[in-house]
Amino acid sequence: MITIDSLTKAYGRTIAVQDISFEVKRGEVLGFLGPNGAGKTTTMKIITSFMPPTSGVVTVMGYDTVKESIKARKCIGYLPENNPLYHDMRTTSFLRFVAKAKGIKRSKVTSCMERVIFECGLEEVRSDVIRTLSKGYKQRLGLAQALISDPPVLVLDEPTMGLDPKQIYEIRQLIKDLASSRTIILSSHILPEVSQVCDKVAIINKGRIVAIDSTSSLQRGLQDNARIVLKVKEKLDETMQIINSIEGVLSVSSSNSCVLNVETTKDIDLRPELARRVVEAGIDLYELSRKDMSLEEVFMELVTEEITPDA
Amino acid sequence: MRSVYDKELYIYFSSPIFYVIAGIFLCITGIFFYNNMVYVSLLASQIAQYQISTGISLNDILLRPLFADMSLLFLFLIPIVSMRLYAEERAQGTIELLFTYPLSDLQILAAKYLAGLTVLAAIGACTLVLMVLISLITSADWGLVISSYIGLFLMGSAFLALGVFASSLTRNQIISASISLGLILGFWAIGWFANTMNSGTIATFLKEISVVGHLSSFLKGMVTLKDVAFYFCFTLFFLFLTLRILESRTWRG
Repeated sequence: MITIDSLTKAYGRTIAVQDISFEVKRGEVLGFLGPNGAGKTTTMKIITSFMPPTSGVVTVMGYDTVKESIKARKCIGYLPENNPLYHDMRTTSFLRFVAKAKGIKRSKVTSCMERVIFECGLEEVRSDVIRTLSKGYKQRLGLAQALISDPPVLVLDEPTMGLDPKQIYEIRQLIKDLASSRTIILSSHILPEVSQVCDKVAIINKGRIVAIDSTSSLQRGLQDNARIVLKVKEKLDETMQIINSIEGVLSVSSSNSCVLNVETTKDIDLRPELARRVVEAGIDLYELSRKDMSLEEVFMELVTEEITPDA
Repeated sequence: MRSVYDKELYIYFSSPIFYVIAGIFLCITGIFFYNNMVYVSLLASQIAQYQISTGISLNDILLRPLFADMSLLFLFLIPIVSMRLYAEERAQGTIELLFTYPLSDLQILAAKYLAGLTVLAAIGACTLVLMVLISLITSADWGLVISSYIGLFLMGSAFLALGVFASSLTRNQIISASISLGLILGFWAIGWFANTMNSGTIATFLKEISVVGHLSSFLKGMVTLKDVAFYFCFTLFFLFLTLRILESRTWRG
């Protein structure tokens, strides 16, 4: 659906995005992660034909975003960063304008408008002036204008920025509902959000893609060792000794009085063995679980790794 | 294109800016009109008293000064109408919506320009009330009135194109208005230069590009091809420049 081939964008001498390539398939939700100024917004602006790339080719549904820009734009719903809206207009008049601007047939304008008003929960504010809407409603309206033509591709630049937790939850649910039939690219700073909503994550730093993979394999792939966490009732030292004697265990440490972190080699799963030995020794076992790296840790590791050689 | 045109008009008529400038323009035009009418009645009473026959016509003492005054007010009115067209979109970030909708730059420009022109025409049309008033008291030279309105409209559309161009250069509406006011006054002042120089190619050239100079034949009741063509070319030239400015985002860093 979206292919990006060796895309580079330079603003004068500063290079915002350097030689990135990736592909997003139909029905996929790609999370775009990176520190501020990494090139996320630039990439999104190029995908949506707002700016042309300095070099490289971007296609959306097979249409080149430079040469067949109008056709490509027809396939995209775009929620820009900071969610710009015409503050002097009313909700319905704005949506009506967007529907017509996107080339929806005159006879279908009203039905499309009613659909997004329903989908995005805008009934209460349908005749309000946009300036007076709360941030949550503005964000929903931003999403509504992106969705009105029912586009196969959605590009959302920080869709939950500045919302309160309840609103974030609602927007996230909405995106999840939309995901089934569409290709979505969304950028975010909030990592748990990305791991909840997205199938695939691209991490970008200093204009380059440093990792692109499914969320779970990213979390597993970066670990050198497997980690298991145990929680026991008492006899911490005794348990540590028992665990240390198991083959494959690399190290044991305790973070507080009853939790043990066990590092084992990556290729074997020691969980059954651990459980049996601990229980056989008559120790009360509360919890035993395998711990993957959180997306936060993956992100920090990738971004920091990239910074070190430069510095 | 229709969608953007409708949107622009919606914003013009829902924001106070239109009502403020239309109100001020019509007030001042009204004052000029009143002033001229007082003068006309004074002359008329004197003529009646002393039974003198003069060559003075209503055209000279009422209509021509009135349209000249209106053209002067237009110079100040146009930058305020045009300033928001692109600058506001840039400042609010909505240009990112507009430029990612399936609309070409030319469609957007045409819609915005026509919306501005509609607003100017609407304000200008309000002055028709004055013509109605004149027609109630006396019979005016309607040919002159029509040609003057055509002249005002053409001059307005030329300066509006210049204003749209200025608006496409910046994200700040005040800068946009200042640039267009500066350029408009510049094109106005060129006419004076031409008058102080007695002859030569440069004087002729300056005279020909003086936008206000081309209005004078309309205010005399003549619609000449030369003047119509001038305003037309002036408009197209600045709209063309605007389009280039908008396109520059595709190659500028």
